[in-house]
Amino acid sequence: MRQFIPILLLVLLPSAAFGQAKAIVPDPDPELERKTFVVAPGFEVNLYAADPLLAKPIQMNFDPQGRLWIASSEIYPQIKPGEKANDKIIILEDTDNDGKADKTTVFADGLLIPTGVEPGDGGAYVANSTELVHLSASKPGQKADRKKILLSGFGTEDTHHIIHTFRWGPDCRLYFNQSIYIHSHIETPHGVKRLNAGGIWRFNPDRTELDVFCRGFINTWGHAFDKYGQSFITDGANGEGINHGVPGAYYPTAQGPHVSRILHGMNPGTPKFCGLEVVSGRHFPDDWQGDLITNDFRGHRVCRFKLQDDGSTFAGREMTEVIKSNHPAFRPIDVKMGPDGALYIADWYNPIIQHGEVDFRDPRRDKTHGRIWRVTAKGRDLVKKPKLVDATIPELLDHLKAPEQWTRQQAKRVLKERGAEKVLPELVKWVEAKKWMDGAHDERHALELFWLALALGAPDTLPKAGLNAFHQLTAGCLGAKDANVRAIAIRYVGEGFILKGDRAKAPIAMIGSYCREGTSRERLEAVRVLAQAAHPEAATAALAALDKPMDRVLDYALWLTMRELEPYWMPEFKAGKLTFGGDAKKLAFALNAVGNKDTVKPLVALIDSGKVPKENLHGLYLLLTQIGGPEELHKVLERAAAKGVSPAERDALVLAVEQTVRLRKVSRPKDLDIITSLWSEGAAAHASVRLIGLWKVEELRFALEAGATAKAATPAVRATSLESLALFGDAKAKEFIMNLCADPKPEVQRPAIIAYASLDLGGAANFAARYLEHAKPEPEVADLVAAVVGRKGGPAAFAKALKGSRFDSPDVARIALRAVRASGQPADDLAAALTAAGDLAAARKPPTPDEVKAMVADVAKADAARGELIYRRKELQCLACHAIGGAGGQVGPDMTSIGASAQPDYLVESLLIPNKAVKEGYHAMRVVTNDDRVTLGIKVREANGLLVLRTPEDKEVTIPVKDILERGEAKSIMPEGMTDTLTKQEFADLVRFLTELGKIGPYAPNKARLVRRWEVIEPSNANLNAFRRTRVSAAAEADNAFAWSPAYSLVSGDLPLASLPKFSVWANTAEQTVLRFNLDVTTAGAAKLKINSVAGLSLYVGANPVEPKAETILDLKAGVQTLTLIIDRSKRTEDVRVELDDVPNSPARVSVIGGK
Amino acid sequence: MFLSAVLALAQPTAQKPFEFKDGDRIVWIGNTLVEREQRYGYWETALLAANADKKITVRNLGWSGDTVHAEARGRFDFDKPDMCLKQLVNLTLELKPTVIFIAYGTNESFEGKDGLSKFEKGLEKLLDALKPADARIVLFTPLPFSKSASLPDPKEHNLRLGRYSEVIRKVAKDRKHYLADLFAEATSGTYARITGKLTDEGATGDTFQSDNGIHLTWRGYANSAKVLLDVLGCTHPDVFIDLEPLRKAIIEKNELFFHRWRPQNETYLFGFRKHEQGKNAKEVAEFDPLVSKAEEEIEKIRKTLKK
Repeated sequence: MRQFIPILLLVLLPSAAFGQAKAIVPDPDPELERKTFVVAPGFEVNLYAADPLLAKPIQMNFDPQGRLWIASSEIYPQIKPGEKANDKIIILEDTDNDGKADKTTVFADGLLIPTGVEPGDGGAYVANSTELVHLSASKPGQKADRKKILLSGFGTEDTHHIIHTFRWGPDCRLYFNQSIYIHSHIETPHGVKRLNAGGIWRFNPDRTELDVFCRGFINTWGHAFDKYGQSFITDGANGEGINHGVPGAYYPTAQGPHVSRILHGMNPGTPKFCGLEVVSGRHFPDDWQGDLITNDFRGHRVCRFKLQDDGSTFAGREMTEVIKSNHPAFRPIDVKMGPDGALYIADWYNPIIQHGEVDFRDPRRDKTHGRIWRVTAKGRDLVKKPKLVDATIPELLDHLKAPEQWTRQQAKRVLKERGAEKVLPELVKWVEAKKWMDGAHDERHALELFWLALALGAPDTLPKAGLNAFHQLTAGCLGAKDANVRAIAIRYVGEGFILKGDRAKAPIAMIGSYCREGTSRERLEAVRVLAQAAHPEAATAALAALDKPMDRVLDYALWLTMRELEPYWMPEFKAGKLTFGGDAKKLAFALNAVGNKDTVKPLVALIDSGKVPKENLHGLYLLLTQIGGPEELHKVLERAAAKGVSPAERDALVLAVEQTVRLRKVSRPKDLDIITSLWSEGAAAHASVRLIGLWKVEELRFALEAGATAKAATPAVRATSLESLALFGDAKAKEFIMNLCADPKPEVQRPAIIAYASLDLGGAANFAARYLEHAKPEPEVADLVAAVVGRKGGPAAFAKALKGSRFDSPDVARIALRAVRASGQPADDLAAALTAAGDLAAARKPPTPDEVKAMVADVAKADAARGELIYRRKELQCLACHAIGGAGGQVGPDMTSIGASAQPDYLVESLLIPNKAVKEGYHAMRVVTNDDRVTLGIKVREANGLLVLRTPEDKEVTIPVKDILERGEAKSIMPEGMTDTLTKQEFADLVRFLTELGKIGPYAPNKARLVRRWEVIEPSNANLNAFRRTRVSAAAEADNAFAWSPAYSLVSGDLPLASLPKFSVWANTAEQTVLRFNLDVTTAGAAKLKINSVAGLSLYVGANPVEPKAETILDLKAGVQTLTLIIDRSKRTEDVRVELDDVPNSPARVSVIGGK
Repeated sequence: MFLSAVLALAQPTAQKPFEFKDGDRIVWIGNTLVEREQRYGYWETALLAANADKKITVRNLGWSGDTVHAEARGRFDFDKPDMCLKQLVNLTLELKPTVIFIAYGTNESFEGKDGLSKFEKGLEKLLDALKPADARIVLFTPLPFSKSASLPDPKEHNLRLGRYSEVIRKVAKDRKHYLADLFAEATSGTYARITGKLTDEGATGDTFQSDNGIHLTWRGYANSAKVLLDVLGCTHPDVFIDLEPLRKAIIEKNELFFHRWRPQNETYLFGFRKHEQGKNAKEVAEFDPLVSKAEEEIEKIRKTLKK
């Protein structure tokens, strides 16, 4: 009963417990918790076990006896000095089969935050901080008294990232994960394995073989295998739902040589998930088989996803929840099918889930409770618990036919532990007796036998007489009717043949034949496994995949394989020994994948050959830009200036040239006449003007001087000309620009000062200070301030220049202060100087704890609906950086379920003091480059000498690492003072809205595939002129000339019509609104749009008009499709709501594109 | 041919015993061999027992996967070699050692012949960086690998380990550092039961018992503690009296010290998220008095051994 004392204290002494504002420590009665569950129709939930039988479960796994092993920690998140590490592995058992645990055994104690447990080999594999250990008891049924350290050197930089998610794979290897901050260095007899980021490890304890199965992820707390052995992965921080685990693939935040391209999850915009299981077995209804169950631990939901084949990969769609609840401490974190066919859910039971943002020692952290819930289908028989441990080998082999994956996997484990010597002869007999080809059984039985044989070390461990049977089994899997069996067999056969050092051409050709001939998934497996063959022929074999239509994941797989095989094929290719059959498409793919300077010559030859399909040419030119020298860049500029190149392609090419000159410092081509022919309009023109400065093209300097001063020059041309001139960096440029800094026309003066900042910081600061004194409060003021502040020493120089200044308009000081805050630079002196210059009240101070408490109290009385409208206000910029349901900016964390995970005090503080607690993966970096420019952003990746940052403007900026002078941590990228303009009530409403996000109610995550991210045409003069030149429906055409702005639906999914811009093209014509959204079609076919009302709507798919109906069936081609809606505002007042849905039996796989 | 060459090189050379002094503070750096020793404590126990007339403290900074370049220690700076080395050197110097035990070479050896000069340069660089400690240095050669299910044929790799050991011997000689030649002792010394065959199979038998062929089991540490004393030239009885109380106290001290120098959640306590939990970093320093207290317990037991 010791465990109950702390909670008792909380009840008796609420003032202590509620020391932190708005603490919610609920009544721990499990029945009260259970009553909050809204369970999927036809199912019910009972309590399998609760405290004090267990506390704080982190992971659970069943053993073949049907006992539930649980890793639990009361020490988490951090050991206290003087405290003895005494975390436990416990075993729960339901001895009388009544669905409730009645026996608990402490198997091991004295552990430090064990984050994973998997029973096996006479004990259990346990994650013990820096080590993976095997614990066992010398006397059966007793506490573990033997510890074998199997692997050591796992990082512990963050205790919710340390190794976790232990599970046996279908191959009987131990798979386990580590999360983003962990750096591990593991010694094995086969070399040191290092993983300096998140990833999934795969471990064969028999041979101490350890390798990385997938790379990346933030908190990969879910990994499950379907009945064919395909991997599915969920992440507790990356909101992309279910991920298909492709062997060796890179996922978000991966480290390694091939990070420039990564794979993503199937459900962007979903909340974060923990745990994953595949539904399997007779207790569950047919329409649940193969579905995935995972936990939205923030939103107190147990979620279900249905998978469908989508080419080489899968599409996943969320279904009605298994459980949802509003109980603040219900934290489902692990889910497993049980021996009786029911679904078991581990509930960590804690009002506080995070340990980064909330103090380690926060008294609200629960240390004593924990539950295991059991979900059963009403009126359906349970599965009879199989008796495996004492079964004979033939009985166990027969269990490998069971409909329950649980039984098959556990029977396989028992067989594996019986050992090769006993089991393989029986397995050979079984195969020879053709028991695996019995027509009544699924071909998956052969697959299970094949996995078992491999796990037992076959073919090496087989007696000679058994080889034939093993080959029959292999052939049976490779030749199965079920393509999914064939696909996974390719993976394992490939590893078997190729990894065993047999590098002959025959197995490569055999695997290669699947790259061309197989289904998409067979091709995927074949392409990936070929990467393990250290042989040039493997590259040729893999490229055969290009002979058939590709899909995105297959394309990625081939790209990765070609890169991994580069050391083998590139030398042969350069020596002229390898030609890829002279196939231009294959050559282009291979060169593109590798993209290094070695490939310049063959690439030019390929382009010049004229054999490349037209649609591939643009990509090759982009590649040439990345790797070519001066003359190749000239060739690219020629291409950009050529007729028949679309404006979008032209922009892309010239911008790419500019980027490459900046990154790689490629010097100028001799002849540059071509540049002047690019001076028309658009981004290409501006980039070509900047190239003049980057290359210091003396003969064109006059043109820049003209552009800077000409009366007719637009502000943009003027700014670009000055920027380019400044890049000359010489005395002549300096003098010219300095003179303009004192120009009487502000529209000349301002861009001149901005450009001058890179030449003479002190001088520019002085000019800027003088300018601000008499400036009008225009938004452009912010650009000027940013130009000075965004340089090394800029804030100090500016503060000095402002000494004694007095601005005509206090609003100028306000705009300037905002720009300073947005820069993320430490600039207290500058802020003070601006405050004085604008004669503003003293600078803002962070709120006191009492003030926060008072604000939290106001939130309870506030209105979430009003808060949502405040959230959407343009000036607050919330939407520009944060997404809800995947729609919105990507700079800050997604807000979908923030209210269900974050406490109100945390939200209040985060709004007022953004730097106090920053979400994982959103820490900003401040980088000073050798041109003294300061860049602020979140690190996207760093590899091959390039650092990529996402700036607060949601742009990716690439910086060569060798240009970096300083780098360090920056404050939160979210500027302070964003909410300063709000009234007290408005602020409370905003927080209230955030606290509701993700909770049951109107702001819960919605499974419907709603269109949430739109683009809309603003009635600017340029847009209206473009309409007048063409027609309104031109907006639906690809490559149209309109400028589009983002718009986002409400959390409910409705896009409020009243908030949308409208215009009349000609006087006295009806007002219209033009909207568009994108669908991502990965497999072509029919899909349905559900539209709330078609009043006043015209619909275009691409440029083709389609009649809108309440349920509009579309026939969609593969690729990204743009759908445009033109709304006659005189005929419509309802908001717009569009939902994507499937058409029964259609092969189409479509998703709605979100993002910014 | 190679084999015999390596064997010839591996003959232990006569060397004066390493002289421990009263009040010595040993800092032990290295890879898994060193890191795991702190959990079992057999080697440290033997060392203290054999020198029970002196007060000696040991701080184990072993880190799995580590090399002379301190590759395992960089954490978020894993790709910046200078930062990695700095971590190791600063930590070592902070502990003000009078003796530094350095045990590297195992992981480096996977780079084979091509990696030898990199290893030598790395070792020199590390030793240069540790000079400010003005400590007596002991360089250990790695243990050979042995045959196991995970490593059916260690022969080729042991040749590599032999070459890396030779580099360590050379550096020790050039710099006049004490050489603790585990490799020679295990392959051809008293503890190699059958000389020729043993090099093919590595150090088999109970002395260097291993599950995976590259790391010692607890029994391996227990049985090879004598070897450690031999390579350091410590005189010792064949059988120690019951040292379990001492070993337990040492393990306790090591665990507390581990929480001190390699705490969990570094990211939040000291790293780039310290603005969130940095206020709790003071707790980590609270391990210092606990370590001292554990050290007192060791001291108490030592005094009983002295007689």
